[in-house]
This record gives sequence, structure tokens and C-alpha cells, in this order.
Amino acid sequence: MTSRDRAQLMKGLAFTSPWLIGFLGLTIIPCALSLYYSFCDYSVLEPPVWIGLENYRELLIDPEFYRTLRNTAYYALLTIPAGLMVSLGLALLLNAPIKGQAIYRTVIFLPSLVPAVATAMVWMWLFNARLGLINTALRTIGLETELRFTLVNRILEALNIAPLRPLPFPPAWLSDPRTAMLALALMSLWGVGHTVVIYLAGLQDIPRDLYEAAEIDGAGPVRRLFNVTLPMLSPVIFFNLVMAIIGTLQVFAIPFIMTGGGPLRATYLYTQYLYEKAFMYQQMGYASAMAWIQLLIILALTGIAFGTSRRWVHYQGR
Amino acid sequence: MKLVSRLILAIMLILAAGILILGPKPDENVPPGRIVVDYWEKWSGIEGAQMQQIVDWFNETVGREKNIFVRYLAIAQVDRKTLTATAAGVPPDIAGLWQRDLVSMASRNALTPLDEFAREHGIDQSAYKPVFWKMCSHDGRLYSLVSTPATMALHFNRRAMLQSADQLRAAGVDPFQAPRSIAEFDRWAEALDLRDERGNIRRAGYVPMEPGWYISLTPYWFGGRLWDPARGEFYFTDPRTIQAFEWIQSYPRRLGKAALADFSSAAGGFGTPNSPFIAGTVGGVLQGPWMGNYTFNLRPAMSEWVVPKSIELFLPRAARQFNYEWAVEAFPSVDPVSLPDVTFADADLLMIPQGARHPRQAFEFIAFLQRQDVMERLNSLHCKPSPLSRVSDDFIRRHPNPYIAVHERLARSSNAWPQIASPIQAEIGAELELAVQQVYLLEKTPAQALAELTDRARGKYQRFVERQSLRGRMAPRAVTAVGGQP
Amino acid sequence: MKDRRLNLLLVHLALLLISAGFALPFLWMVSTSLKPLDAVAPTTLEGHSSLSLIPDPVVWTNYLDVIHNRRMDFPLYTRNTLLIAVLAVIGNTLTSALCAYGFAKIRFKGRGLLFAVMLATMMIPFPVVMVSIFSIFRWIGDHTPLQMLGTFRPLWLPAWFGSAFSIFLLRQFFLTLPDELCEAARIDGCSEAGIFFRIMLPLARPALAVVALFTFMGVWNDFLGPLVYLQRPEQFTLALGLHTFQSQHGGTQWNLLMAASVLVILPVIVLFFLTQRTFIQGIATTGMKG
Repeated sequence: MTSRDRAQLMKGLAFTSPWLIGFLGLTIIPCALSLYYSFCDYSVLEPPVWIGLENYRELLIDPEFYRTLRNTAYYALLTIPAGLMVSLGLALLLNAPIKGQAIYRTVIFLPSLVPAVATAMVWMWLFNARLGLINTALRTIGLETELRFTLVNRILEALNIAPLRPLPFPPAWLSDPRTAMLALALMSLWGVGHTVVIYLAGLQDIPRDLYEAAEIDGAGPVRRLFNVTLPMLSPVIFFNLVMAIIGTLQVFAIPFIMTGGGPLRATYLYTQYLYEKAFMYQQMGYASAMAWIQLLIILALTGIAFGTSRRWVHYQGR
Repeated sequence: MKLVSRLILAIMLILAAGILILGPKPDENVPPGRIVVDYWEKWSGIEGAQMQQIVDWFNETVGREKNIFVRYLAIAQVDRKTLTATAAGVPPDIAGLWQRDLVSMASRNALTPLDEFAREHGIDQSAYKPVFWKMCSHDGRLYSLVSTPATMALHFNRRAMLQSADQLRAAGVDPFQAPRSIAEFDRWAEALDLRDERGNIRRAGYVPMEPGWYISLTPYWFGGRLWDPARGEFYFTDPRTIQAFEWIQSYPRRLGKAALADFSSAAGGFGTPNSPFIAGTVGGVLQGPWMGNYTFNLRPAMSEWVVPKSIELFLPRAARQFNYEWAVEAFPSVDPVSLPDVTFADADLLMIPQGARHPRQAFEFIAFLQRQDVMERLNSLHCKPSPLSRVSDDFIRRHPNPYIAVHERLARSSNAWPQIASPIQAEIGAELELAVQQVYLLEKTPAQALAELTDRARGKYQRFVERQSLRGRMAPRAVTAVGGQP
Repeated sequence: MKDRRLNLLLVHLALLLISAGFALPFLWMVSTSLKPLDAVAPTTLEGHSSLSLIPDPVVWTNYLDVIHNRRMDFPLYTRNTLLIAVLAVIGNTLTSALCAYGFAKIRFKGRGLLFAVMLATMMIPFPVVMVSIFSIFRWIGDHTPLQMLGTFRPLWLPAWFGSAFSIFLLRQFFLTLPDELCEAARIDGCSEAGIFFRIMLPLARPALAVVALFTFMGVWNDFLGPLVYLQRPEQFTLALGLHTFQSQHGGTQWNLLMAASVLVILPVIVLFFLTQRTFIQGIATTGMKG
């Protein structure tokens, strides 16, 4: 290491020292401890006892672990793509130079500000099967029927899988195990404000001359979107994707208040299970093992995202 | 526009600065020289403020005398807060928690045994109604004392019964009295059902899930027991437990799953004037003594059937009850002769976590609360019965709940059962709830759901035993007084 | 030209519809906050066949009930929350900028690794580290003169060590600023601190506004931190205070809870509305190119 290197290192460490001190003082010890606890029997009320891989072994045969993992994957599949697309669409609309932009932007961002208890309650009323606004509206416009899944069931029959039971429409949303997760996913779209703002930011960053050049080439609005906007925006889309993976897999508070994981554990999410293990069932060791598995899953997913990013994320000026 | 927004921003900044500099400050008003006892309690709303009165009373009297000051904190999610603080070795001196916390914390050595303190203060089981004394112990040691108890009873709508008197008589039920057996109750409930032309339920005699808080304990009313502490066994496949769950399932079967779902979605939440019992859309509910306060707060007319409240208070006690559209009786059991006055006895418990700085002083406050006058004052405020065996006439006469005598009777009953006292009750409770949902939504037969529940519960208990043995603790142990099960 | 105007009209229409959808739950909140308790929940009784958005009668006094409440000291809780928020915002914005500058503009060995570790800390679920963090605060209180538990410090002091999210955001911003700017200043004999304070910080103002606003919102709505660390009712924050309207067996006074919620978030809404331009330009210039 040359003296210049050393000087650079000292400077770098000096600037990042606040985070480093915080990391060493407040973050690294709890993280390391949680890794250690994951190999222990630990109730938080008594000192931990080392049990090796026992917690992980137990996880592998725990049906609730798989159930919550499945539910979370389902929730993530429902919300991440839809959330990214809806927020992108909204950002494109909000980017148009129109009167009242500030008001529209504020309204779209508004839901991100509402306290969780209030959000949960408002949505429980909106989703109310009989009197909720959503179902009342659907019924008023005459959408009252029963979904029989005839086509799907014919395929399932051929595959020897039990057919789907008919579903009333409008559905009972949160009180029907088959639609509860869907309702939660729909509701999550309401909280895209943060993502919209970040997209909006990315949109401001696209040089005007690219559009002008495309227009001269005779590109219509659709082609401009696909050939200019989306490629130029791909770093932001990528950023939001990574943030969405991290965030969605840790979602917990609002579904917990609204359904408590029910009905029939159809909305029982991984982080809720982890939380219950840690604080209600006093199995902090087990919860820590769950946390580290979750960390590995998120890391793997972000890793995949990073790996594929080279193919579809275009960095400006490189 | 820019100017305006700058202006508004500036005003907001000035306001914020104003609040910070000139605004109110949290000042502590602990009298100097007193030993501070920190008391954390679960009540974040009105109940919290009511307990504050008792704390103030202590601080002004016994506290002043013995140089103790109770610093009281009523906060939501107190169990989580207490757990975190206890884990870090800085617990409160007193924690107001639930029954399920007692066994789970005591079996992990996280609570201070109170036997010694109790002896010094002359507190023993003779002063208590048995169920409320027994639930405070685990493994033969005393770990807590009751602050506010409750017994669950059938609350029924007398106006609805009068309206449907003919149907009730036709079903062979006395329209002026609460049904006494489960069989009679079922006929009673069916006779009270009203539907509209589309088949929706306008009024149901009984809906098990309304409010459904104690539904998983239904086996008590069938003579069942759920947990044997001595053997570490759950009784979920006991024929009486299965019978109880079959009874639960008979309601969605009779009323229709869809109609019930529809009924529930139209029901207002508890604590609002539209909750079914208060709105009169359900004939009877299994509920606790606080209903005395809630019915009056939310729908005064229900408690002023004949004369206004102000006049009623001058009437003799026996006459007072005619002023109420609602009444209270023991929830019917499968056999009222061999199994009378069955109830679930719940209570808020005061515990001293291990590591508390002033356990002795903390117990001074707990002991103060056990004084008959203090206990009766608190429980009048909370609209609950007393856990003590001696109850003053005044308590009964002046109590805001006109049916407090029924609750007192139930609390003394030999068929008053506490919460299942298994050491992993939080987990078992969640599993029980799943089984109830499976049965109620007609997903599984009771036998099937309960057999699966037993498997899950056994596995979890087995795990607990294994983990306990890591610490050299044997379980199950021969236990004398856990949870008061037969 | 005509085409463009039609387009704008369509955009307006679409936004109007969507905004209505987005505003609906909020409007519901406001409407509930103005209703009497017996009209807040769905019911089939006495003519309310469905939930109505328009409160009838309008009960303005709900707001007075919230402000003059014996159990929830609104002015005091506002003051407490504001104090924590201000301290956290100043600390987080300043130190995050400092760290972000280090990660973006100073090439040093191990920078990439350090940065990756920082991002990974965002992926650890909070429940499993909460007790340990609490214990650390206890330890600090026991072994230094700085009392932690039962004070506001655990709620704002960590912000002074930066947060991964803010550092990441600001790093992206600094990355877009040309290196030549720093080089030129260095040649002129400007110290690294001088470059940071005199050149970088002023240029980063919009991005700093973003971080400040996000931090403010985070503290304003935080429930868990105050729940765990505060030990006296006089220290409560607004988010804790909202629970006053719930009781053990009694359900919730929804109208009052919603009124309180509206009061709690109103300042933040105004703040966002007034600063959204800076906000959006702020992230814009960060240009996610990292």
C-alpha cells in the first residue's frame, strides 16, 4: 500500500466514520448475535443454550415455514410486478406538464402518509363484503354473478386435479380465504407513492434531445416510450425492483392488523410468523434462524436481479 | 404562488420552533426522596385512566407513609415492551399482563415468586374466590395477584324474546327466562332467528363468532377439559371436546355459511353502537361484565326500558332489572344439573418480573390493591366483579352493572375455569383458533380438525419439553395447583 | 397543436379519476372523523343500508375532543414528536451526506465491500435485532454518563450515524456530479472538508431535502421505537398517543382515532405539497446510475 493509498483510505474512513461507528456500535453486534442465536435455544428471557443446527433442522420440517414462505412468494408475485408497472404509469402521467401537478402528486403520495391503523381500518370497510364501497359499486353497475371457472376446471379435470369451487362475484374479499391475499395485494397498490416519486425523478433525468431526435426519426408516442423512456429509465426500474424485493418480503404491519394472517392462514406472511415466534412464542433462536434464511433469500433474489441487470439495464454514457 | 408557499413554510417553521421553545415540557413530578416503583399496564384507553385514580390514591396514602411512589405507564402492546425490557435486564417493577404470560414467563424463570411477600402481608388463598387464586400460581408457587377479574356469561336480549314470545313458546321455551341447557338454548336461538325476504339474517338468536372471543373454550360448557398439566396432555380429542366443536359447527350448518358470512360483514365492530348485541341483531352473546358500561354508553335506551337511569337508581335492586332490555345468566351447559354455572374466568394479572429493582416496594402496591375497599373501587370503575371472597353489600348495590350478582355467583362457581395454563399457550391458542375457523367455515369435520390440532399441539409441547430439558428442567412435573383444572 | 391539447385533456381526465381513487381512503378517514360513533361502522339498522361517505350529521366537536383530551395531551405529544424529528432529521441528513460523499467521491480500498455490507444491513428483519439493540442502549446508559432508556436519545441518536437508505440515495446523487469539480478544488488547495461543505453540500441541497423529508416522515409515524424506549406518559409521541382511542374490551373510538390521525398527518401533507418540487428535482438529479 503506497502512502497515497493509505492517505486515501484514511480520508475515506474519516468521511464514512459516522456510519462505521454506528455500524460497529449499534448494528454489527445485534446482527452477529442474531446469527449466534440462530444456533441456540433462546427465549430472550434466559441465556441462550447452544444447540447447533437444531433450529434449521426444525425449520426444514415445519409446515408453517413452508406455508408462510409460499404465501409471501404469492404476495410478492402479485404485488411487485403490478406495483412497479402501476407506479411507472402514474409517474408518466404525473410527469405531463399540466395544471395542478402539485395537487395530483400530493394526492398520489397521500396514502404513504396515513398511519397504519387508520389505513387498515379504512380498507377493511372498503372491502366489507356486504356494505363495503367496492362491492356496493360493483353491484350497482350490475356485476353480480358467480365465477364457475368452467374452462379452468376442464383443464384441471384433465390433469386429475380437484376442480375450483365456484366463487361469488363480487367476492367477500378479506373474509374469503381465496380472495384475501388478492385484496391485500390490491390494497398495496395504494401505497406506491414512494416508488412513483422515484420514477418521476428518473423521468426528469432523461435528456430532452433524445426525444427530439426520436421525433425527427418519426417515432410515435408508443415507440418513444419503448425506445427512449424505458431504456433510459431502466436504472431506476432496477433500483425500484431491488427496493421492492427487500420491502415486500418484509411486509407485515398492515396485513397483520387487517387479517391477523387469516382466514384459515391464507394471508399468513413470513415476517408475521417470524414476529410471532420472536415475541409471542418466545422462540427468538428459531426466529433468528428464520431471519437468516430470509436474508439469504433476499440476497439471492437481489443477486439474480443484479446478475440479469447487465442485459436490460442501460447505464447512460457507458 | 412561490411566495405564498414560502410564506406558509416560514409560518410552519416558526410554529414548530414556537412549540419546541415555548411549548409544554414533560416534567416529572416524582416527590423527592421516594422510592420509585415503575408499573406498566396494558390499558391504553379509558381503563388506563381509571387505574391512574387508584395509583394516585396509593401514592397519597400508603405510598407517602412507606416512602414509595408508583410511576404508572399505561401503554399499548405492553407485553412486547415488558419482554424487551426484561430481556435487557431492566424490567418494570410491576407488569400488568395476561394469564397466558404467567405460565410462559414463570416456566422460564422470568417472574419473581411472591409467596414470601404474600405471607408477610397476610395474603393467602382464604381471601380469594378459588379460581382467581389458583390462576395466579404456577408449579406450586405464587407469581401474581389479580387486578381486575371477569367472568363470561350469556347476555341476552329480553326485548327480542318478548317480540318472539309466540315462537319461543311454540319451541317449548319460556320467553321470560334464559335457556338453561344447550338443547334448550338451541331451540331458543332458532326461535329468535329472523330472516328477510332474500334469506339474509336480520336477527340471529345466536352466532358463535359474535364476538367469538372465547369460542375455543366452548368445551368447558360440555364438561370437557382441555389440558392436563400433570401429564402434559391436551384433551382436544376428548369426546366432550369433539361434542363442543360439533355444537359450534351446527350453527353454520343450520344458518348457512353464506348467510353467516353476510351477517358478520354487516355487523358493526365491538365498541360501536352497531355491534350486533347492542343493535339487537343477535339474541345472545357470551360476554363479560364490562357490557354493563358498554350497553349504557353506546345505547342508553337499552338500559332505560321503563324509567330513566336517574330514577332507576332509587328503586330496590330487584326492581331495577326490569328497567333493562338485556339480562345476564350463566351460559347454558350441556347439563344444567350436573354442570351448573359454567364460566370462563379471565383476569388481568399483576406480576413482578425477575430483575425488578424494587420488588418489595412493588408488592406494597399490589397488596394495597388487594384491600377490599381498593379492589372494589377499581372493579366498580372497570365494571367487573371482585376476585376477593368477601364482597361488600355496597359493591353489589352501587355497581354500574345491574347484573354484577350473577357475575359474582359465577366467579364463585366450582365450574369457573381459567385460561388453559399450558406453558406454550400463545402458540396453542393460535392453533386452536385455526381449528375453530376450519370447523366454522365447514372446511373440516370437528373430529378431523381436532385430531390434526392434537398432532400439532403434541409436537409443539414435545418441542417445549425437549428445549426445557436442555436447561436441566424436567417437564411435565407432578404439579399441584396449575390452572385449576379438574 | 390540437392533438396535444386533446392529449392533455385525456391526461387530466385519467389523473382526476386515479386521484379520486387514491384520495378515497383518505377522504373516508376525514369523513369518519366527522361522524358520530354510531355511524362509523357498517350497519343495516335504521336505514343505513350502506356506509356513507358524507357524514350526516357533521360532528366537528370530534376534533375538539381530540385536542382537549384528558388522556392524550395533544400539544405535549406534538412537542415531543417534533423534538425527536428535528434532531433526527438534522443528524441523519448531515451524517448521511458525509458518508455518502466518502462512498461516492473518495477511492479507498475496501469501499465496495463496505458499501455492500451497508446494503445488506437493510435486509435483516428488525424483530431479531430489537432486543440486542435495546440491550446496547442499556449498556451505554450503565457504563457512560449518557442515560439512554427512558429518554428520547435512543430515538434520535442513531440518526446521527446515518442510515443505509439515505446514504445510498445521496451516494447516487454525488456520483452524478463530475469528479472534475472536486479535482479542480483539490488543486486549488481546498481541503476535503472544504470541498464537501463549500461545493458538494450546496449542490446537493435538493437531495438533502428528500432525505430530510423521508426521515421526518419516518420519525413522525414511528410506533415501535417510542413504544419500546419511552417509559413515562409525558414522553409519549403522537403515534403512541393514537392508541389512546382503543380500549381493552371496548373496541375503538374510530371517529376520534381518525380525527387524531388527520391532525397528525396534516402538517406532513402540507409540507409535502409545498416542497414536492424540490423533492422531485432532488431525486431527479441523483440519476440512478450506480
